[in-house]
Amino acid sequence: MRNLKKGLYASCFLCLLSLASYLVIADKAFFILLFCILLILLFSLTAQVHKLILQESMAEIGQGMSVVDDELIHSVIFELQQFINQEVNIVEQELERTKEVVADAVTGISDSFKHLQSLSEEQQYMIKILISHSGNVEEGKGVSLANFVTDSNRTLDDFVGVIINTSKQSLETMTYTDEMVSQFERIFKLLAQVEGLASQTNLLALNAAIEAARAGEAGRGFAVVANEVRSLSVGSTALNEDIRTEINKAKGIIANLRTSVETMASADMTSTLEAKEQMSVMMSHVEKVNIQTANSVEELAVIAPKITQAVSLGIRSLQFEDLTRQSLESLQMNVRSIHEISDVLATFNKDTNIDVHEQLLKLKSTCQNVYQATRKADESRSVLQLNMEEGEVDLF
Amino acid sequence: MTVSSRISGDGKELVIAIDDRFDFSLHQLFRDAYSTMTTQDLSYVLDLSKTEYMDSSALGMILLLKDHVQLYAGQLTISKPSDTVRKILEIAQFQRLMTIE
Repeated sequence: MRNLKKGLYASCFLCLLSLASYLVIADKAFFILLFCILLILLFSLTAQVHKLILQESMAEIGQGMSVVDDELIHSVIFELQQFINQEVNIVEQELERTKEVVADAVTGISDSFKHLQSLSEEQQYMIKILISHSGNVEEGKGVSLANFVTDSNRTLDDFVGVIINTSKQSLETMTYTDEMVSQFERIFKLLAQVEGLASQTNLLALNAAIEAARAGEAGRGFAVVANEVRSLSVGSTALNEDIRTEINKAKGIIANLRTSVETMASADMTSTLEAKEQMSVMMSHVEKVNIQTANSVEELAVIAPKITQAVSLGIRSLQFEDLTRQSLESLQMNVRSIHEISDVLATFNKDTNIDVHEQLLKLKSTCQNVYQATRKADESRSVLQLNMEEGEVDLF
Repeated sequence: MTVSSRISGDGKELVIAIDDRFDFSLHQLFRDAYSTMTTQDLSYVLDLSKTEYMDSSALGMILLLKDHVQLYAGQLTISKPSDTVRKILEIAQFQRLMTIE
């Protein structure tokens, strides 16, 4: 190209020279000489141009012929190699980093899932214990809350029975007491009769004393007897009074007894009524709690395997790490291939003694080799992935 | 009268009615209302429709009446008790011993 330019400059210069020699010197021989040289120069230039066009068309067809500027090729390939190397290095670093991050994250998640599972199992165990404890206050003895309430209810019923029985007995006692009081009244009547007898005896003794006085000396002894009888009747009346007083005292004691029995018989049932109502409320509450507990146990029984299932699913899903790792590894392989190309580019020698054409051919064949290798690897990888997707994956 | 008793026309039923308070103070009157009855197969009706308060002595009195009724092979029915009285009767489990209507 440069030669062509020089040639054109030279031909222009020769043209001017020949024109000048024709006008100034007017020497025919010199002019013909110059003209001949001009012709030869133009001819050779034409040949050069033809060769250049041919070369360009050759280059277009791809038959890389080292007609182009070797230096440019060298620098372009050098730049290309630099660029690829840099990019590939970055991609490799990022891939490695991603791999590590994914692996770390998966290990963390997997650990936390396993921890979650063990915690859930622990929780289930504790709930079971809690439920069995709430059912039986004292394990082994079978004293449940429901039993306790039932027992209390029975005790309350017994208590009510005792109260009523006491009332009944007290009332019977009252009946007997009333009978005793009426018996006392009858005793009073008898006492009145006894008193009547005493006063009649007194009267009789008085009459006897009068008759004895009338009899004079002969009745003196009879008068003493009559006087004795009279004093006996007076003593009998006093005794009667004493008996009456004592029985009246007994009546007072009976009145106290009556009050006491009344107190014993009359128990207010209001508090018992309230207790009974509270007891039935308690009973229904215990029943409700029991039903709720049973329901909760059933629900827990359903939930527990669900948690295990969910955790298993989570752990199984973590298999994506395996797939991702494989993808990343195959990507790394691809990047290595690019690296190889870059290495080949790096061997492109700047030494001008070695033919660029030869080097390009070598480069081309190396590229083809690498391409074939990558393609094979890709095919085998696709097969592998297909297998992975088809196969059922177990926990790791 | 806090305790009233009457015998039905055909002489087969004795109705004893109690006023608002049925407690110990009535025990004499209550006993007098039935103690003289010695007829066999007599129906005894205890009317508690007006009774609002009842203590344990009333329950004891009813039990004594029940004993008397059984002695003469009769029937005892408690008639129309109020809610409170009915509850007390149920706590004492009288529904097992006699008819409560």
